[in-house]
Amino acid sequence: MIKDIAAFGNAGILSSIQALNINGIVSSIAMIFSKFSIIAKTFSRFSTEGKIGVLGITCIVLMAVFAPVITIYPPQKITGDSLEPPGPGHILGTDELGMDIWSQICYGARMSLTIGLAVAFVAGFGGGALGILAGYMGGRIDQGLMGVIDVTMALPSFPLLIVMSAFLGPSILNVILILVLFSWAKPARIARSQTLSLKKNNYIIAARNYGAKPFYLLWRHIFPEVMPVLLVLIIGISSHAIIAEAGLAFLGLGDPTSKSWGMMLNHATGFRSIYFTPYWQWWLLPPLFMLIFLLLCLAFISRDMERILDPKLKIKKGF
Amino acid sequence: MGEDRNSFIFRLLLTLFVILAINFFLPRMMPGDPFSTTSADEVGEEIIVMTEEQRLYYMNYYGLDRPLHEQFLVYMKNLMTGDLGRSIYYKMPVSDVIMLHLPWTMLIVVGATVISTVSGVVLGTFSAKNRKKGSDRIMMTGLIAFAEIPSFLLGLILLLVFSVYLRLFPLAGAITPFADYNGPAEQAWDILYHAFLPVVTLSLSQLTGVYLLTRNTLITVITKDYIRTARAKGLGEKTVWNRHALRNALLPVVTRTGFMIGIMMGGVVLVESVFSYPGIGMTLRSAVVGRDYPLIQGILLVIAVSILICNLLVDKIYGKLDPRVVI
Repeated sequence: MIKDIAAFGNAGILSSIQALNINGIVSSIAMIFSKFSIIAKTFSRFSTEGKIGVLGITCIVLMAVFAPVITIYPPQKITGDSLEPPGPGHILGTDELGMDIWSQICYGARMSLTIGLAVAFVAGFGGGALGILAGYMGGRIDQGLMGVIDVTMALPSFPLLIVMSAFLGPSILNVILILVLFSWAKPARIARSQTLSLKKNNYIIAARNYGAKPFYLLWRHIFPEVMPVLLVLIIGISSHAIIAEAGLAFLGLGDPTSKSWGMMLNHATGFRSIYFTPYWQWWLLPPLFMLIFLLLCLAFISRDMERILDPKLKIKKGF
Repeated sequence: MGEDRNSFIFRLLLTLFVILAINFFLPRMMPGDPFSTTSADEVGEEIIVMTEEQRLYYMNYYGLDRPLHEQFLVYMKNLMTGDLGRSIYYKMPVSDVIMLHLPWTMLIVVGATVISTVSGVVLGTFSAKNRKKGSDRIMMTGLIAFAEIPSFLLGLILLLVFSVYLRLFPLAGAITPFADYNGPAEQAWDILYHAFLPVVTLSLSQLTGVYLLTRNTLITVITKDYIRTARAKGLGEKTVWNRHALRNALLPVVTRTGFMIGIMMGGVVLVESVFSYPGIGMTLRSAVVGRDYPLIQGILLVIAVSILICNLLVDKIYGKLDPRVVI
């Protein structure tokens, strides 16, 4: 459905660009950009939940971007007494070292979003590109890639994630790399199967018979068709990555120099007898609620996008 | 079909091999060698306690100076004989440490599997019978929202509500420390009482999958011709649902159960940490904190192998349940 609207909306832009005789790549880029305006249009078709999701994500992104503006204290400096309850000085109180919790929440949003986006884009587009290539080329390369995908998907990802970050050392880059290693397989598999069914279409065969080069075919005809599915998958991967990062940090395997929400959970639950004191109310609850809120928002958006894209298309969620 | 099955088993073996290879190469990729840190008190502190001569002797003793492929063969041979090395922290064989903690994990994983499967099927059937009505809508929206919360965050919420705020359940552990039981019934009660929240957390995280699967399969099955035939024969609604519809709808649930155990074995590490439940997940956490590498590797292996065994079992059971599948 979205495809039809996109084709319709793009027709004008594309013909005007092609009239200017600019090469194919530029027009394809314009096509992708015009797709974003389509996404803006689909927003009006979102359900209430989906709109709440988009609104929530926007709030969290703003929070992360403007963290220095909306906080008074730096997140990693001792600016108050130890374990101050929420009050006028520190809106959400302080942790055991006297660091402001509101600041940590705002700066922590950066960590979750960065990891979610980085992993999702690298794994989503990288895996997608591999899948498209394998699906298009077929033969040995395709079989080889399918074998690798099968094994990757059968690996117990979270236990391996723990072990690998324990051995390789906790840094943001390592966490991102390991997460990418475990999440590229699904977009690759779906992009491959889409490509396989797409390349049998008459218009693609026709284009090839007219002498279209493989790169042109992939970029111009196949990639734009696979793109919407990849976008839905990317949302799923990013929420998976955010969960995994929070889980690793909660186990004490996060980057020790950063203050992510998972790290806050780790520090708070690691504090001796936290459950026998009232401290958990302002130390443990904020990161917990923020994480759940972020994940619910992402889930709402991905559900709506799935529904709008194609109700028959089933993209199964799996850990 | 036979070829399909061979490739299935081949894939399992290949996966196992990849895990073994990761397990073997990861510690050898790290900088330094094990002998410079074994006697350091803290992580990061390096004390050289051996002379070069001693170090070479130990390298030779543990076989670390031999070529990599020989080391790998020795490692495989040790694995086959059940030798997983010695834990640095516990100062006993890794296999003994795992055997000490594995029963607790089995208890909560098996418990959660049973509870989430049974309640998922019951709720799914209820929803399918009342589809498009208010109760179905509410149940579906609620359960789907639940499924989006990862199990360890859900566990933290349950812990805060039921153990910290309401003080109904214990905060940590699997048994009351230093308890004197008046018979096995009391002991069993104590174990169940401690296992309750972890089991509920794991069940809730898996419930939605089973529920949706049962509901959606039932809705497709109930439109089939043989259901109409069954009704036309004059069978009661109960028989139609339970014997004709549900039986067919349960097949995908069986597959799902094996898949579920795999996901839970991953999530159990975090859930056990939340409840300080002394299973292998909690042990893995403390091994990671204490950099007890042999133990980390052993636990990873046990988790991976149990997931693969579950997949294999599901495949076998499925063949038994569905006569259309030829083994």
